[in-house]
Amino acid sequence: MPPFTLGHFSQVCCQLLNHYFGEIVGQVGAYLLRRGHRPLFDIPCATGLSIAEVKKALAVMIQHNLVKFEASERNNNIAEYSIIHHNVYCLLRYPKYLYMIKRIYGTSEEILLEILLNLGQASASNVIFQSANRLKEANDDSEFSDPSALHKSFLKLAQDNFIIRCPKLADNANIQKVPTLEVEEKEKFTVPHLEIGPIAKLLKENATQLGEHGDSEVIWRVNHERFDVELRNVILVNAAARRVDATAGELYHLILKLWRECSNPDSPTTNALSFNVIKDAVRKNEGSSPVLLEHFEQYLRVLYEDTSSLIIKVGDAGGGQFVLNYSTVFENLACATLDSIVLERFGSKALRLFRLTRIQKFMEQDQMQNIAMIPAKEAKMFTYKLLEHNFLQIKELKKGTSNFAPVKSFILFHVDLPQVARTALEASYKGLFNAMVRQMHDLTDNKRLLDKHARLETLLETLRGEGLPEDELAYLSDSMTAAEKSLVSRIHSMNDHLTLGQTQADDTILILESYLKFSSMT
Amino acid sequence: MAGRGRGRGQNVSFNIEQLGFGRGEAVPVSVTQPPPLFPTLENRPLPLIKDVEYEYILVTQKDLNTRMRNSSFHLNTAIEIKEIQQYSDKIHSPSYEKELPVLWNRMPTELKKSMTKKLTITKLKTVKSGKKKKTEDPDKIFAKLEKKEIVESEDGKEDEDEKEKSDDEKVEVEDDVEEEIDEEMDEGTDYASNYFDNGEGYLDEDDNLDEGEAQF
Repeated sequence: MPPFTLGHFSQVCCQLLNHYFGEIVGQVGAYLLRRGHRPLFDIPCATGLSIAEVKKALAVMIQHNLVKFEASERNNNIAEYSIIHHNVYCLLRYPKYLYMIKRIYGTSEEILLEILLNLGQASASNVIFQSANRLKEANDDSEFSDPSALHKSFLKLAQDNFIIRCPKLADNANIQKVPTLEVEEKEKFTVPHLEIGPIAKLLKENATQLGEHGDSEVIWRVNHERFDVELRNVILVNAAARRVDATAGELYHLILKLWRECSNPDSPTTNALSFNVIKDAVRKNEGSSPVLLEHFEQYLRVLYEDTSSLIIKVGDAGGGQFVLNYSTVFENLACATLDSIVLERFGSKALRLFRLTRIQKFMEQDQMQNIAMIPAKEAKMFTYKLLEHNFLQIKELKKGTSNFAPVKSFILFHVDLPQVARTALEASYKGLFNAMVRQMHDLTDNKRLLDKHARLETLLETLRGEGLPEDELAYLSDSMTAAEKSLVSRIHSMNDHLTLGQTQADDTILILESYLKFSSMT
Repeated sequence: MAGRGRGRGQNVSFNIEQLGFGRGEAVPVSVTQPPPLFPTLENRPLPLIKDVEYEYILVTQKDLNTRMRNSSFHLNTAIEIKEIQQYSDKIHSPSYEKELPVLWNRMPTELKKSMTKKLTITKLKTVKSGKKKKTEDPDKIFAKLEKKEIVESEDGKEDEDEKEKSDDEKVEVEDDVEEEIDEEMDEGTDYASNYFDNGEGYLDEDDNLDEGEAQF
C-alpha cells in the first residue's frame, strides 16, 4: 500500500504499526487509516492479504485498543472496523509513560504498566501474575515475590486513573455476532475483589499461565487521556522551572495537583483556587523544600505576575483567587515554540520580524523594517522568506480611488497563529516519519552485521561467565574486525540519536497539538 | 486597467524600487524547476537534549522494541510458501485461536472462525451436492475396503453417500484434518479414484456394474 496517499500523521501511525506489530498489521492499519469504517471482507481485496491474516491483524489491533468495531447499520451480524488514531500515535509515547510512572510511584507500578501495555487489555489478576513472574525473572531468584504488594500498586494506579476499565460485554452479547460493549460511568476505576491466594500458589509452582480466575470478566487497559494530561502538566512544570527556578517548578507542580482535584478535567479553565488553600497544601506537603516553605508567597507572586500566564489571578477573595487557563498558557507555549523554530531556521533578524508581526497583528512592510530596526533589503529578504515558508500571511486591502489610476493596494502582513501552528505540526510529523524510516532502513540494511555482533556478544558473555581465560576471549572477539566493530558502534549511536530525535519531536508535537485543541475549544 | 496593452513595461502597477532593487541592479532569475528534494541546510540544528530522563527513555524504548517484536502479537509476513507441501503441515497447523493470546469473547464472531474448520464444512457440502467429479470420503474408503474383503462387488457411490452421511457428520469433527487431506489428494488427480478396478470383480455379477460412474 503506497504511503504517499496518506497524510503525514497517518504515515507516522502506519510506521508505528509496522514497527511494533509487523507488516501485516501495518498494511491492514494503513488501509483502515485511508478508508475509515470498513467491514471485514473489504480488507483482503484491497490489501491483497489472505483473510486469515487480516483476521489475525484485526484481532491483535482490537486487543491493543487500536481499532474499534461497531455493528454495521445494514446488517447486525457484520462489524465495521475503524482505527482509533490517537491510540496508535500514543504507541510512540509508551516509554514516556513508563518513565513518568516510575518517577511518580516506583518500580513495581512501572512493571505493572509495562505488562499492561504489552498485553493490551487484561484482567487485573493476569497483570499481577505476569508482573510477579517478570520480577522473579529479573531478580533471578526463586524466592517468590509477594503479589499482595503488586495488588496494592495496582490499586494505586487505578485510583489515580492511569488505568481504566474497558467497557464490559452487554448481557446478551453471547448471542450477538458483534458484541455490544457498554460503558459504566461509576465503575470505570473500581478494582473488583481479587483473590491473591491462588495467584501466590501458582507463582510458587512456576506456572506460566494464569488459568481461570474470578475477575476474568473485568478487563483493564491503559488510560491514554490521563497520561496526556500528565504529559501536559510535565511541560507546564518544566516551563515554570525554566522561567523562574526549580523551586517555582515544585510550587507549580503542587498547585497543578490541587487544580486537578477541584476542577473538571475537560474544561479549558480550571476552577479558582484561593491563596489560603495553596498555603495549607504547601505547609502540609512533606516533600516541599525549606526554601519553598519560607518564600512561597514570593514565588507565587512571581508566577502570577509573569506574562506567560502560568497562573492568572482572577480575584482577591481568600487572599487571592488563582486560575489556570489552558488556552492562554498553551498559546504562549506554542508561540515560544514557533519563535524558536524561526530562530533556528532563519536567524535572529527574521525572529525579530516574526515576533513583531505576531504582537502587532497587521503591519505593512515599511512599518516592519522601521520598528524592527533592520536594514531595508535584509528586512525584505527575511519577510519574503518567512512568507514563502508560510510563517507570515498576507492580507491585501485594495484602495481603489479612480478608474484611471492603477489600483493601489495595501499589503499587510500578519501571523495567523493556528495556521502557522498547523504547518509546524505537519513539518514535525514529517520529521518524525523521516527519522523512523531512516532508523528502519539502517537496521534492515545492516541486519546481518548487527545479528553477528549480537551473537558474538552473547557468546562472549556466557563464556566469560563460565570462566574462560581472557586470551581465548580476545581471540574470539577478533573474529569481528575492528572496522566492523566501529561500524556497529556507529550504527548504534545513530540509532540512539534517531530515537532521541523522535522523542523530542514528540514533545513539540504535544505542545502544538494541545494549543490547537484548546484554541478550538474556546 | 490603464495602459493595458500599450507600451509594455511602461505602466506597471508596481515599480522596481518598491521591491527593494535599486536602479540598474539585476533582478533575480526566475525559478524554472521545482526546489531540490534535499535542500542544503543553512543553519545547523540544535543538538539533542541528553539528560537523565531521555537516557532512561532510550533504554526503555530499546527494551520495549525487543519485547514487542518477540511477543506473539507481532505478526511476521507469515505464510512462507513451501515448495514441497508436507503432510505434517496439515496435521500440525494449529488453529490460530490458540496461538494469539487475545480475548476472543470480546470480539466479533467473524474474526474467530478459523480457516481449517470452514474448509472442511464447505468441501463436505459440495461433495454431498453431488458433483460430477467423484471424490471419496475416508469412511467410504474404509467401508469399501471392508466390503471388498467380504463381498467382491462395489456399491454405487450415491447409496453409500446417503448411508454414510450421519457417520460423516459425527466423524467430521474429529477427523477434519484427515478428511481434508484425503479430499485434496483425490482432487489432485484427473481420474476418478474408483476407476481403478483390481480385477476382483471380473467375472462376477454383471448387473452390479458401477452405476452412474464416469467412464473415461
